[in-house]
Amino acid sequence: MSALAAETGSAEPRERFDALSWLTTTDHKRIGILYVCTSLFYLCVAGGIAIVIRTQLSRPENTLVSAPVYNQLFTLHGTAMIFLMVTPFAFGLANFVLPLQIGAPDMAFPRLNALSFWVFLCGGLVVFSGVLTSGGAAATGWTAYAPLSVLRIAGGSGQDLWIVGVLMVSIATILTSINFITTVFIYRAPGMTMWRIPIFTWEMVATSLLVLMAFPTLTADLAMLLIDRHLGGHFFDPAGGGNPILYQHLFWFFGHPEVYVMILPYFGVVSEIIPVFSRKPIFGYTGLVLAAFAIAGLSMGVWAHHMFTTGAVDDPFFSFMSFLIAVPTGVKFFNWIGTLWRGSITFATPMLFSMGFLMNFLLGGITGVMIASPPIDFQAHASYFIVAHMHYVLGGGSLFAIFAALFFWWPKMFGRKLREDLGKWTFWLLFIGFNVTFLPMHFMGLAGMPRRVYTYDASGPLPLLNFIATCGAYLMAVGVVLFAYNIVVSARDRTPVGPDPWGANSLEWATSSPPPETNFDTLPPIRSERPVFDARHPELDPGLAR
Amino acid sequence: MTIGLRLFLSSAAFAIVIVLAYWFITREPAGTALLGFMAFGLSFVAGYMIVAEREADLWGDDARADNSAATGETVGEYSVRSPLPLATAAALTCVGLGLVISPTVAALGIIALLGLGALFIVQSV
Amino acid sequence: MSAFGSWSPPTTQAALLRSDWLVFFWTGLAVAALVYGLIFFAMIRWRKRDDALPRQFRRNNRLEIFYTVVPLVMVAVLFGVTYAVERPVESVSAHPDLVVRVIAYRWGWQFTYPVQGITLDSKDPTDGPQMVLPVDRTTRIEITSVDVTHGFWIPAFLFKRDAIPGLLNRFDLRPDRIGTFAGTCSQFCGLGHALMHFSVRVVPDAAFVRWSRSAANAS
Repeated sequence: MSALAAETGSAEPRERFDALSWLTTTDHKRIGILYVCTSLFYLCVAGGIAIVIRTQLSRPENTLVSAPVYNQLFTLHGTAMIFLMVTPFAFGLANFVLPLQIGAPDMAFPRLNALSFWVFLCGGLVVFSGVLTSGGAAATGWTAYAPLSVLRIAGGSGQDLWIVGVLMVSIATILTSINFITTVFIYRAPGMTMWRIPIFTWEMVATSLLVLMAFPTLTADLAMLLIDRHLGGHFFDPAGGGNPILYQHLFWFFGHPEVYVMILPYFGVVSEIIPVFSRKPIFGYTGLVLAAFAIAGLSMGVWAHHMFTTGAVDDPFFSFMSFLIAVPTGVKFFNWIGTLWRGSITFATPMLFSMGFLMNFLLGGITGVMIASPPIDFQAHASYFIVAHMHYVLGGGSLFAIFAALFFWWPKMFGRKLREDLGKWTFWLLFIGFNVTFLPMHFMGLAGMPRRVYTYDASGPLPLLNFIATCGAYLMAVGVVLFAYNIVVSARDRTPVGPDPWGANSLEWATSSPPPETNFDTLPPIRSERPVFDARHPELDPGLAR
Repeated sequence: MTIGLRLFLSSAAFAIVIVLAYWFITREPAGTALLGFMAFGLSFVAGYMIVAEREADLWGDDARADNSAATGETVGEYSVRSPLPLATAAALTCVGLGLVISPTVAALGIIALLGLGALFIVQSV
Repeated sequence: MSAFGSWSPPTTQAALLRSDWLVFFWTGLAVAALVYGLIFFAMIRWRKRDDALPRQFRRNNRLEIFYTVVPLVMVAVLFGVTYAVERPVESVSAHPDLVVRVIAYRWGWQFTYPVQGITLDSKDPTDGPQMVLPVDRTTRIEITSVDVTHGFWIPAFLFKRDAIPGLLNRFDLRPDRIGTFAGTCSQFCGLGHALMHFSVRVVPDAAFVRWSRSAANAS
């Protein structure tokens, strides 16, 4: 894996792996690869934890793990997937791809970029180091609600390490967002106006804006939690004049934008892939951009829809705002369909995963509109219905887009193509496995199964539904293992990959695979959001004059 | 007016509308404070951009520009390698872990951060 | 569809909640059918057949405005339905027939009937305390917690409300069917969260009076 590749992309002599150069790199491409590798590592860790959780829940009153261990497991699973996998993967992908897409030589602040990665890596290790303490890792959920998380008996230094680790990761995320916004505003190549940047780049700008607005609140909330735990604070303690609801307001003011931080980059990923494999431009470019910012803006005003059952928030305000978010999301969906419409569609693995994304995310979006209605949320909240909803959007959505992105940009990053036959098997295993796992959870929740329980009622439909879900999880695990195998076997294939193996559109496909250290030797003229397509089809009018 | 400035201005305007709407509809102080901070932050950035952008002339904003606009010009220098990021992250980790496990480690981390900060300033000057 | 409560919801509030669900369920099903239909149709109809480049169209302003405005109208209607259902569900009557105080703690429930002088606790029966309620009467539940946040959830009633320390939550239940209904804690509260059960038994008036006398003696 060398960042210095011959320009033609032909097989270069194997360079000795220079660890020091990776530890001191400020090259956005290398930092992107570091992020991707680290987040895939956490995918395996958090996924492995999920297999343990599903095995425990495969039958009622199971004794695979005890309650204290189980509580650590679901806490680490959620924390790792949310803070250490989904967003870091997106940021790593964007680190590699975004400067190339706008024709920039690197990010605006290369050393800050590297700092963000190392702080993220260390933060994740700090979170997991709680496992080594005598009391175990944090065990209050990824949401760490006060007053439970203030109680030392519910979490000793493991909880503190969780707080510190998440603080570090949030700092890293904020710093990278500053980098992305500055890079896109300042370092675009000649002719790359804001209305010609790819949709993925736009989504990263919207994501970064959201991070800037939301993450500082998390930082404050966690600091207040530390103060309540160790410095005699009473922010969240009613006996001292505080209020547990305050924690929830602060947490969800961050927490809801966070879920959009976790999906917007992946809207961008499918917006890049679908046009390539439909052989048409993205439909409704302007609408997609406006929708991204509408989603970002509205998402700052819906946080208390996570608090409908507290009885302490204005339900109609938050319900109304939550319904509104469905509108720009729907616009995006119709624009993607418009891209497919009257196209010439092929189904390479990136496109399969993108179609899977559309189908899964649609269901997650529909259940999301349902729980935006407090009367439905009064039943669904804190039950497996919510677990189903969140996994459909984050698993069926973001995770599928992660695989789409991996298959699509792997040749650009590593100069190797992943095997298509294994890729198709991976897709079907994941798609079937995912739906077998999470579709039953809607019914589990409505049948009365709450979240975060290590066992459940032996009577009724729950045992069968849970067993089915566990089978689906094992199917997914096979798919992930097959993907790892794909990486290994395709690494041995030295067939050179040209600059544009897919017949794609945006600027990163104008340079070699992998790109040279300075990114581009020459740039094609930029007259639309598809400069590489335009260069391939000089007989067509670029179409966008802006 | 660049797209970037328009983005922050419209975000700030939206935030101001939302914080007012939220206060008058719900009278809930915590959410109002948070939305207020958000509106203030966005307005601050928008204001700064208005001032800073007076002289901005990016070749990226020129729809008819091509590569020749960028050739021959040294835009700036940026480092390709640096030990500072990893060292700073390690120092920050010491501070964090030290907060939980041992004040000595935290103190060492803070000293390291100060030293690295000084090194950074010296390198940039 | 019938996953959301039974065909005959056991409280008047649950009947309203279920009507809200039915509106959303059928709307969701219709939207899903439409969008899945469009996606599958496009995938099948326009599979690549030859090397000809399809027409490279980018926009259709009228269509885009259409599919912005129509969903906007739809969610406005959904909000109206939501609001119309939520107001009566959350309204508390000025003179409830019965008041029951619920205190949640790690890890159990305490039910107190102040007027009748009854106290029930998780420590007594084997699967959590059983709250007995008279049918066709409005019961006011007042609920709080003494330690961390818990969730008071009766799935058959399609309703839950959090028990939060320092806060007193109030809601009304008007059961209109005899039966026994399971309840559980829904808000994660630590080691005993999965075992924090209770139940609600709805009985006729006369049976309730008999029960309350013997329970008061036992308390």
